[in-house]
Amino acid sequence: MKILIVDDSSTMRRIIGNVVMQLGFAKDSFDEAEDGVKAWKLLSEGRYDVILTDWNMPNMNGLELVKKVRSEGTHLKTPIIMITTEGGKGEVITALKAGVNNYIVKPFNAEVLKEKLDGVLKK
Amino acid sequence: MSMSQEEIEALMNGLDIEDDGDSDEETVTVNTQEIEELLSQTEEFKKDDVNLENEEHDLEDEEPIELKSNASSVSSSDIEKLLSEIENSNENAKHIEEIESIVTPSKSSVVEKEITVTESKPARSEDEIAKDWTSSRINEGIFPLPAENDTKVVNQLTQVANDSEEKVSQIFDVLSLTLDNNNELRSSLKDIESFISSETALLNSLNSRFPNIKIFDERLSQANKVAETLKNLKSMINTEDTEIFQAMELMQFNDINRQKIERVMSVIRKLSSYLNNLFEDNTPAKDIVVAKHIHGDDTDDLIGDDLDKLIAEFSNNK
Repeated sequence: MKILIVDDSSTMRRIIGNVVMQLGFAKDSFDEAEDGVKAWKLLSEGRYDVILTDWNMPNMNGLELVKKVRSEGTHLKTPIIMITTEGGKGEVITALKAGVNNYIVKPFNAEVLKEKLDGVLKK
Repeated sequence: MSMSQEEIEALMNGLDIEDDGDSDEETVTVNTQEIEELLSQTEEFKKDDVNLENEEHDLEDEEPIELKSNASSVSSSDIEKLLSEIENSNENAKHIEEIESIVTPSKSSVVEKEITVTESKPARSEDEIAKDWTSSRINEGIFPLPAENDTKVVNQLTQVANDSEEKVSQIFDVLSLTLDNNNELRSSLKDIESFISSETALLNSLNSRFPNIKIFDERLSQANKVAETLKNLKSMINTEDTEIFQAMELMQFNDINRQKIERVMSVIRKLSSYLNNLFEDNTPAKDIVVAKHIHGDDTDDLIGDDLDKLIAEFSNNK
């Protein structure tokens, strides 16, 4: 199982990584990217089972990344969970329409991520 | 201007902080000999003053006596005596004046010295005076800080966001280290636990076979106690882990707050751009001559009679 964590905040990447480890994943089971461009590069080079991405990022934001992943490349069906501060109904609908499988509003706890991860992996 | 640590310490110790340029001219060093000379001079002056005062007192005392004698009877010889005494008193007065002239030059020389000290200060330019006035206004909080890189609002906010991110990362390192240490503790405890459980099993069998030997029973109860303590330690480590995870989760607020700061920065940038556009003047800029005083300003107005008087004075002078 390989997970890609995409967030411009290094703290957030570490927090998500930590939660993922709490859920029983090993340290080498996830990679990190600080924006959509770097995430796309990693996605082009390797294979990932789940993508956890932020929305607001420089260069290429999370929504653009989701649209790109769903439209081209080798991860068309890969589950994507968006983890963001954008908690508005409109934003959630926009993200879901773009192809996001689940949505988590910051701040979140380990249980919520576990639930959502289990949910997307079962499908 | 920021103060160095030495300056802050000097200030805390009650010492004067030297300003950049003026300090050399203002500080006058006096050695002990000079101090003693000055003291002796002042003592002499004091003595002279005391003598003068005594003489003055004598004169004051003498005059009323003569007046009394005048009141009783006035003859030609008395008048001559009186005149001679007045002459004497005039001589005394001259004497007093001479003493004063000895004293006063020393005072004037002090004043001259003061003047030379003040004159030695370089004449401050208008720019320096204006700068001092502006910086004093800034220190009083009347004027805002000048728009420099360190004081620009957006720059400061960016700095706050970046510094906070850096510090949170460092805190995260500390917490991660504690988690790693806890994991090591947990693995060490596992080894001790396995040892204790084997010891307990051994003591259990020995105790069941030899129930009359007290030492086996005692050691068995001790081993059970240690096992219980290990269990508590493990639970404490687990609780600590949970708390560390909670702290890590709370650090998400750094990201949330950073995004809030970025939102404020965006508003400021847009507002700044809007205001620049709003106040922008497309016509070629020329300095307009601005009135220094307009009627209604909070300054002294010359109205009516006062104005007429001033005009009349000027015309008279011509």
